[in-house]
Amino acid sequence: MDVSTYVGERIKEFRTSYNGGKGLSQEELATKLGIATNTVSRWEKAVYKPKLKDIDDLAKFFGKPISSFFPEENTPAPLAGLMRAAQGLHQDDIEALTQFAQIKSAQNQLRKK
Amino acid sequence: MSERSEYYKKMVTLAHEQRALFDISGARITRTEFRKIYKHYGISIDQWPIAGLDRKAFKKLRGVYFPDLHGAPSVLVARLPDEPYIFTLAHELKHHLMDRDSVGAFCLTQVQDEMKEIGAEVFAAEFIYPTIEFHDDLSKMDITKGSCTARDIVVLKHQTATSLSYAALAKRAEFTGFAPEGSLPKSGWKKLEENIYGEPDYKRIQRLRSLRKNLS
Repeated sequence: MDVSTYVGERIKEFRTSYNGGKGLSQEELATKLGIATNTVSRWEKAVYKPKLKDIDDLAKFFGKPISSFFPEENTPAPLAGLMRAAQGLHQDDIEALTQFAQIKSAQNQLRKK
Repeated sequence: MSERSEYYKKMVTLAHEQRALFDISGARITRTEFRKIYKHYGISIDQWPIAGLDRKAFKKLRGVYFPDLHGAPSVLVARLPDEPYIFTLAHELKHHLMDRDSVGAFCLTQVQDEMKEIGAEVFAAEFIYPTIEFHDDLSKMDITKGSCTARDIVVLKHQTATSLSYAALAKRAEFTGFAPEGSLPKSGWKKLEENIYGEPDYKRIQRLRSLRKNLS
């Protein structure tokens, strides 16, 4: 399965299980995100690849980390090393670095065809 | 000579070699020049927070060097004004040149590896504005050892347009004996600059805009 298809399936999964399983229609999600109605459908069918900003908005909306939209084997490898080295760093900065590693990983995967 | 002194001396030499490699002269380095240098080494630069994404700025971090982030070296740098931004990129460049084979990311704690971190500070200051040029510029202003004042530092910075901060210049002036130890202020440089050279253009424009806004 390519990354776009995987991301599309994850979006659909989060959308349909939203609000304790009640789910959300594609139109409702589009309205919540302020995007065109058919965009959600195209993401889910992997016709369109969502941009990083879209993934970020989706992650915030569903309350999920960015990395949850991508295949597990491709989650950021440097994160473990990074966290080992981050002792003594301000908690906010550790969070920022974690977010950066996830965003960078998402960027890389979105670039893949 | 101690191991530390030798290491720092090596960093000074490395800074000079890198300046020569990229044909850098004078006391000023721009963001554009740094982009070219980083491109040469295949290092990507990311700024935090990433544009378009709603994220909190760093609390204390200025920059982080990742030797291998998804297969390539990368530097994450805070969105900073020119001087600290340039200094941070110079600092991280040293990590790329010298420390990339070590495991993990750098600049995460100050005590993590003190010698490497101080070495990066030495490299950065020397890369931006070599001490020998600093000495020459002060000599041209007829400043001798022990006589450098805060005003002289402001004039030097104005004349050379150096990308090195007032704090770094003051530290160097004291370290090299041009100013007596502890004689230079720790802050208030911009105010002193204004007293000598008047209100800077950007500030005057800001003031006039605010005045116009209040009148309308």
